Amino acid sequence: MKKKLLLLPLICLSSAASAQQDSVLRTLDAGEVMVKSQRLLKDIGVQKTSLDTFSLRENVTNSLADVLSQNSSIFIKSYGRATMATASFRGTAPSHTQVTWNGMKLNSPMLGMVDFSMIPSYFIDNANLYHGASSTGVTGGGLGGAVTLGTQAIQDNGFGLRYIQGISSYSTFDEFLRLTYGGRKWQSSTRLYYASSDNDFKYTNYRKKIFETDENGKITGSSYPTERNKNGAYKDLHVLQEIYGQTGNGNRWGLSVWYLNSTRGVPMLNVNYKDEDQSKNEQKERTLRAVATWDRLSEKLKLAGKAGYTYTDMRYIYSGDAGDHQPIEMIHSQSYVHTAFARFDTEYYLNKKWLFIVNISANQHFVKSMDRAVQTVIGDKSIIGYDKARLEMSGFASVKYRPTERLGIALNLREELYGNRMTPVIPGGFIDYLVSEKGNVVLKASIARNYRYPTLNDLYFMPGGNDTLRTEKGYTYDGGVEFTLKNDRMTFRGEISAYDSHIRDWIVWLPTFKGFWSPVNVKKVHSYGLEIKGRYAADFSDAWHLMLDGNFAITHSVNHGDPINWADESIGKQLVYIPVYSAAVSGKLRWKSWLFGWKWNYYSERFTTSSNETATKIGVLPAYYMNDISLEKRFSFPWADFSAKINVNNLFNEEYESVLSRPMAGRNFGLFLEIIPRFRYRQP
Amino acid sequence: MKRYVHILLAGLWIAATCHACMKYGPEEEIPFDFSNDPHGVFITNEGNFMYGNASLSYYIPDQKEIENEVFSRANGISLGDVAQSMNIRDGSGYIVVNNSGIVFVIDVNTFKIEGYVSGLLSPRYIHFINDSKAYITDLYASRITVFNPRTLEITGHIPTEGHRSTEQMVQFDQYVFTNCWAYDNKILVIDAEKDQLIDSIEVGIQPVSIAIDKYDKLWVLTDGGGYSGNPAGYTAPSLYRIDAASRKIEQEFTFNLGDAPSELALNGKKDTLYFINKSVWRMDVTDRQLPQTPFLQYNGTLYYGLAVDPFSSEVYVADAIDYVQPGVVYRFTPEARPLDTLRTGITPGTFCFK
Repeated sequence: MKKKLLLLPLICLSSAASAQQDSVLRTLDAGEVMVKSQRLLKDIGVQKTSLDTFSLRENVTNSLADVLSQNSSIFIKSYGRATMATASFRGTAPSHTQVTWNGMKLNSPMLGMVDFSMIPSYFIDNANLYHGASSTGVTGGGLGGAVTLGTQAIQDNGFGLRYIQGISSYSTFDEFLRLTYGGRKWQSSTRLYYASSDNDFKYTNYRKKIFETDENGKITGSSYPTERNKNGAYKDLHVLQEIYGQTGNGNRWGLSVWYLNSTRGVPMLNVNYKDEDQSKNEQKERTLRAVATWDRLSEKLKLAGKAGYTYTDMRYIYSGDAGDHQPIEMIHSQSYVHTAFARFDTEYYLNKKWLFIVNISANQHFVKSMDRAVQTVIGDKSIIGYDKARLEMSGFASVKYRPTERLGIALNLREELYGNRMTPVIPGGFIDYLVSEKGNVVLKASIARNYRYPTLNDLYFMPGGNDTLRTEKGYTYDGGVEFTLKNDRMTFRGEISAYDSHIRDWIVWLPTFKGFWSPVNVKKVHSYGLEIKGRYAADFSDAWHLMLDGNFAITHSVNHGDPINWADESIGKQLVYIPVYSAAVSGKLRWKSWLFGWKWNYYSERFTTSSNETATKIGVLPAYYMNDISLEKRFSFPWADFSAKINVNNLFNEEYESVLSRPMAGRNFGLFLEIIPRFRYRQP
Repeated sequence: MKRYVHILLAGLWIAATCHACMKYGPEEEIPFDFSNDPHGVFITNEGNFMYGNASLSYYIPDQKEIENEVFSRANGISLGDVAQSMNIRDGSGYIVVNNSGIVFVIDVNTFKIEGYVSGLLSPRYIHFINDSKAYITDLYASRITVFNPRTLEITGHIPTEGHRSTEQMVQFDQYVFTNCWAYDNKILVIDAEKDQLIDSIEVGIQPVSIAIDKYDKLWVLTDGGGYSGNPAGYTAPSLYRIDAASRKIEQEFTFNLGDAPSELALNGKKDTLYFINKSVWRMDVTDRQLPQTPFLQYNGTLYYGLAVDPFSSEVYVADAIDYVQPGVVYRFTPEARPLDTLRTGITPGTFCFK
């Protein structure tokens, strides 16, 4: 019996997360804030942020970029609505955040990064952020951290349906449908999400002027024009099918297949004087991801196997019309990626004090990257690019030991192979200590060395690829404390952590004397800072409930590389587009069936030059403050639940750019209607 | 309960007050008047592609003073995305802003906008034929745009018959020569009276820069394709001397494979040729071989722009450093003695002398 209990935390965790699924989602009370006084062997010393269902299901329009931006210390660099959004974890580059979906890597083998705007938050059932050293337990290369995303079987029996329709400003329409079936032996879930928008918001363009002229053509006056966001229309389709089954003896099987088809305009800069019909800048993506999983739970042993496949066809076309109605392709970049994936995991619980973990994963990439908008000297069409295959493998072993109830120690070792090269061993050490059971005060610390190997574009892009690049090398220290205060009516959970990280041989693309850009190992970055998280939930009465969730981060990410020459003023300066201070607060107040939500988000100023130039306006993007609110009313009938929700984004109608020359939308509105029929309706 | 609602409302109020903190809006306009400085130098700072951070600097050599971002400070708007080149004619400066698809016309003393030419795809350089006619080349459009500098109206186009990339322009008699750089190997010859393409000269792969000297010799620098795998080919770069009248190649000076020469420039008398090939090099236009000793030794810095003052023959060399910080321009005497060092905008590229 005792032995069986050892696995209980694992199962409980999974069940608890599942229990937060859609059907239970609609409640809000202090009890919902998961406080795990049980300290899992698996998480000894791990700095981890779990995104709860409330965050992931806050709004159907949200991508994971929106969720991370609001609910974590990760800085999301967004180019606007439905345009690329990349993550900076602890001040590092987007390629330093490793992302997995059901265990399979999402990072592009070509670019190394993930576009979080392409992941609908409604398609993710659980999301965990592993900060700094803790990422080595997930994968290698997460010099900033790692994000694990997953889907999981529904817990409800019988048929289920959930349909949400959203109508928002700028002719934006969102449709979400989920069909589920839960039985004793197998479960199925089908999710469909379709979003489309003209995305043509109006804004005052302070980067341009309209000039008034007299009869001689002399300028007599000027004003800032009101323009629409040009070329920003998008259509995104996502379909996710999952099937899960149990065949007895602790065996569980699963298959998740996710297809996305996206056509997105890349909005024109606000300093572009071309007409909308004169210039087209478009990104098209078709991606299929499939993962089959097998898990077997026994008394002491957990075995898991995964096999997957990813196909991505991405096209970026920048074309223009010189006025003769003959569109000319200026850039036609196309890539095909096929990735076969396999992974095997073993967890062995020797007793309640010892846990051994071993896993191995492999990704075989086949990548074809080309630019088709090329002519030969005789005017023929031609292409340039590369066609490469690469095997990437990662092996991991870990020992977790809890000699006393209060103390936990863990050691990780990871080794990675890419092509015919190997990274050095990636070691990580973790420790936690329960200082006080009252308040569940736990101290945590970790240290790890980490390596990230170059992407295929880094090595082979035409022109500029550099196949002599070395791996990026990082080491990081973490330390922090977490605590939980709880009584019958309220829960407050807080966490403070500090980190110090050094990355050498950071790969940067720089111009060459030949005119094109090429990657080199040049930068040495020291990243250090503080992360504070807090969550407060209270039941004031049976009718009133409040939840506040906040985070604050101080992120210094400083270039300590060798200067290019005497004039290089970037040394000792904050990296481009990384805010030193960032914070976010989400508040939910429920009264009976009404739910009021408020989100506040802040970034301090971001520099657009490596020398942190402040003398000019284009050198600094001013501090960013954003407020969004929502009001939701739920209606419950014996045969169905309904809800109606109104969102007001950018409440105070701020005018701003989040990235240079990329205008953002002012105050905008959304109306969302939801229905959840009760197929198993019983008369009271 | 009320206490907590008050906390929430207080939070909302604090957020509301921060509304005023988000600084964004019109830029202040600053009046300039440099009419007393007859020999100022404009420096176009390209900025970064798709960043919209191009800028214009103005340097006064006599006083060794520089004013940066003069366009945006004078006009209260951004210069745009990739400032490619600038020419001056009759007291007006014509700034070609490549990826914004516009040519701004400014007063060269006040930097105030006088007008603009729009409706362009990817403009690169301007060449004035006379007071009422000028050409604009384009990186992608297979035609050269003709406009009237007096009215700033586009008056026509010259098809370039499949040659998408037209770049710099020089003139001999009534003939304008332009180099087709991207994936090409031709110098096109335009009859400026008829506004027609009349001839072409085949040179090496990717002619990157051209100039015409005092003896009416057309100098053409090719980059040889730059990298193995270039569909246009990859060969050793060359410098060509072509007789502009007969359009015949008189001599080809071959560099080493892997070299990347660029930025041809002539001094004030048009008898001395300068170019960048890692180092900065100089040769007499009558020389029969490439120089062996650089004018300015390569010292790890990637020289990005080069120009020679037509009045003083002083040499200006631009250094973009890492291309994401304000660059530096070095000024030298014709004898390579350093005169001044200027901090400009991001990626200083071309120079225009008032």
